[in-house]
Amino acid sequence: MALYNFKKIMVVPTAKDFIDITLSKTQRKTPTVIHKHYQIHRIRHFYMRKVKFTQQNYHDRLSQILTDFPKLDDVHPFYADLMNVLYDKDHFKLALGQINIAKNLIDNVAKDYVRLMKYGDSLYRCKQLKRAALGRMCTILKRQKQSLEYLEQVRQHLSRLPTIDPNTRTLLLCGYPNVGKSSFINKVTRADVEVQPYAFTTKSLFVGHMDYKYLRWQVVDTPGILDHPLEERNTIEMQAITALAHLRAAVLYVMDVSEQCGHALSQQLELFNNIRPLFANKPLIVMANKCDVRKISELSEENQKIFADLIAEGITVIETSSLTDEGVMQVKAEACDRLLAHRVDTKMKTKKVHDVLNRLHLAVPTKRDQKERPPFIPEGALLRRKAVEMDAPKRKLERDLEVELGDDYTLNLQKYWDLMNPEEKQDKIPEVWEGHNIADYIDPEIMKRLEDLEREEELREKAGEYDSEEESEDEEMQEIRQLASQIREKRKLKILTSKEKDTQGPRMPRTAKKVERATLEKEMADLGLDMTDKDDSHYALRSRSLVRKRKREVSVPPMSRTRSQSTSRPPRDQSGVRDAKMLKKVKTMMKSSQKEMNRQGKKGESDRHVFDVKPKHLLAGKRKSGSTSRR
Amino acid sequence: MRIEKCYFCSAPVYPGHGMMFVRNDCKVFRFCRSKCHKNFKKKRNPRKTRWTKAFRKSAGKELTLDNSLEFEKRRNIPVKYNRELWSKTMEAMKKVEAIKNKRQARFIMNRLKSGKELEKAAAISEVKKNIHLIRAPHAGQAKQLEDKMVQKLAEDVEMDE
Repeated sequence: MALYNFKKIMVVPTAKDFIDITLSKTQRKTPTVIHKHYQIHRIRHFYMRKVKFTQQNYHDRLSQILTDFPKLDDVHPFYADLMNVLYDKDHFKLALGQINIAKNLIDNVAKDYVRLMKYGDSLYRCKQLKRAALGRMCTILKRQKQSLEYLEQVRQHLSRLPTIDPNTRTLLLCGYPNVGKSSFINKVTRADVEVQPYAFTTKSLFVGHMDYKYLRWQVVDTPGILDHPLEERNTIEMQAITALAHLRAAVLYVMDVSEQCGHALSQQLELFNNIRPLFANKPLIVMANKCDVRKISELSEENQKIFADLIAEGITVIETSSLTDEGVMQVKAEACDRLLAHRVDTKMKTKKVHDVLNRLHLAVPTKRDQKERPPFIPEGALLRRKAVEMDAPKRKLERDLEVELGDDYTLNLQKYWDLMNPEEKQDKIPEVWEGHNIADYIDPEIMKRLEDLEREEELREKAGEYDSEEESEDEEMQEIRQLASQIREKRKLKILTSKEKDTQGPRMPRTAKKVERATLEKEMADLGLDMTDKDDSHYALRSRSLVRKRKREVSVPPMSRTRSQSTSRPPRDQSGVRDAKMLKKVKTMMKSSQKEMNRQGKKGESDRHVFDVKPKHLLAGKRKSGSTSRR
Repeated sequence: MRIEKCYFCSAPVYPGHGMMFVRNDCKVFRFCRSKCHKNFKKKRNPRKTRWTKAFRKSAGKELTLDNSLEFEKRRNIPVKYNRELWSKTMEAMKKVEAIKNKRQARFIMNRLKSGKELEKAAAISEVKKNIHLIRAPHAGQAKQLEDKMVQKLAEDVEMDE
């Protein structure tokens, strides 16, 4: 369909722009560097390339323009006629023709100059030839300025035309200016056509879409037509005439009954008769619009006669008002139905229908007996239908109740509940008890289960499950418990005191601190010993004389000559040694631990000095046959 | 209006408390407080988190299988309101609650009973091992000896007589 391409036509540049674009493209896309010492064939090739490139560009763009624009012979006659009306067929064809000629001329120019270039013998000559060729091409194009401008304007206007599909279901509105065609289309479709009191508000065709019987319908609004012969019509009116002529649509001729449009009914009738021939083969409806202002019955005798005549001729006349919506739906339905019937008729007449008809077959089940089987409608449905027809609401609605009670009204849906006992409808139902949902416990058999549970509970109680255990512990056990708790307490205290000791300070032996008599006696008393009357025990404080007299043990004879303090203290190698056997063992241990050190010539344990870190005999030389486990 | 159960700790969630999380597979999780919610987000398993009811039940620390627990069950079939049924249910609820509490308490008590035996044994062993902390080995011996001697003397006197 040529429809869609109208929006896809390439932009037609002005002559100046065209030239600029092409020349700059040539400059960018072809090599630019050439010197006169190059070989001549290279120079020639260089300039030929430029000429050919420019020619190619012009050719391509002009061809595209020529193909993009619609050929008036190829499109639907409606569009062809419309374009003729709007843009003048001859002018259009001429413009395109000129472009075509320009294209051929450019081709020829390029051909000639390329041929001449073969004989160019210097850089300068070739360059001049190229300059001449390009110049001529550009001049040709400069002469096409007018055509290009015209084509650009045509393109812009063409892309804005409404997309009217000439083959689909269409309703066409026509009549005098200001009768109400645009108001009607605004009412019936989602189109938003300007409606104003002055004539010729609508200056071109407008399309709206609507739905009827699950099908898409086009409604075409036309500019008003005045009553004069075809030759005198201007462009705007011609558009309407074109639409009327070519679109196979249902025609809605709109008449203004109130004569607010400025033309008498007789004039409107005249126009109607004049364009009657255009309505041949199209379903026709006459809309008597603006009937809210004046009805047909309010008209004068002769005007009423006009309408009577029309009806007598068999043309449907419907009174409408775009303002009050009276008759609009009726018109729509009537027009659509008539058009559908008309289309079906035309389709039946063509040969294509038979293909479809051959494939359709209505299957009807064969009667197996003579029994009558009419459709069954239940009584309730029939009654309800009658009630609907009688139009009286039988029951009181909530709304009525609300209005009646006014402020006191509260929505009480509980009254519609379907319960076993209707008097329980207004109960407040408890939902929660002490953290439990009552709904979780609801069970028709709950009483039975409860009984079972209680029985079970009784049995358990009888069995003695719930008897509390007596404290059947004898005295001994109690005593043990008491002792155990005392022990635990004592332990904890000991741990605490041990934690409090000073770990950072010097570790003094136990004998460094003097033990008080009182604390010793108290401690021993706590442990159960009898500490009374211990004045003459060995730990109680005595006079100095008694202290001096102490028992002397047999002391070891001095080992060395000096009888100093060291005699009371045994020498280091004997302290901690019990006897000669142990002494001997100790000495051998000492010696054996020193053996390894002495062998290695070390001064002591901490001597880690290595005399020869990297001995040459191990690290130098080639690897001969030998183990590589060590170096 | 319902009191829901927290998914994590099984505590009651009253209306207006807690959070509800709906997952993409349309499963709904309710939480009683942000503690449970945060734990859930950390992907912790309530059956392994010691303070939850789920853990306690799965570890056998609380009563799980019992007839008194079968009374409170979410039934998805609604029952039409019937005053008599509702009032009976309320009474039954109270009784069932009492029995349930009794049984749960009994269960826990039984569980803790064995602890008493262990306690006894521990006390005995403690005393045996560490008696020296509170009692010296020959604590009452002096007195005993004295008493014995007194007794012996008395006997001697008797014999003499």
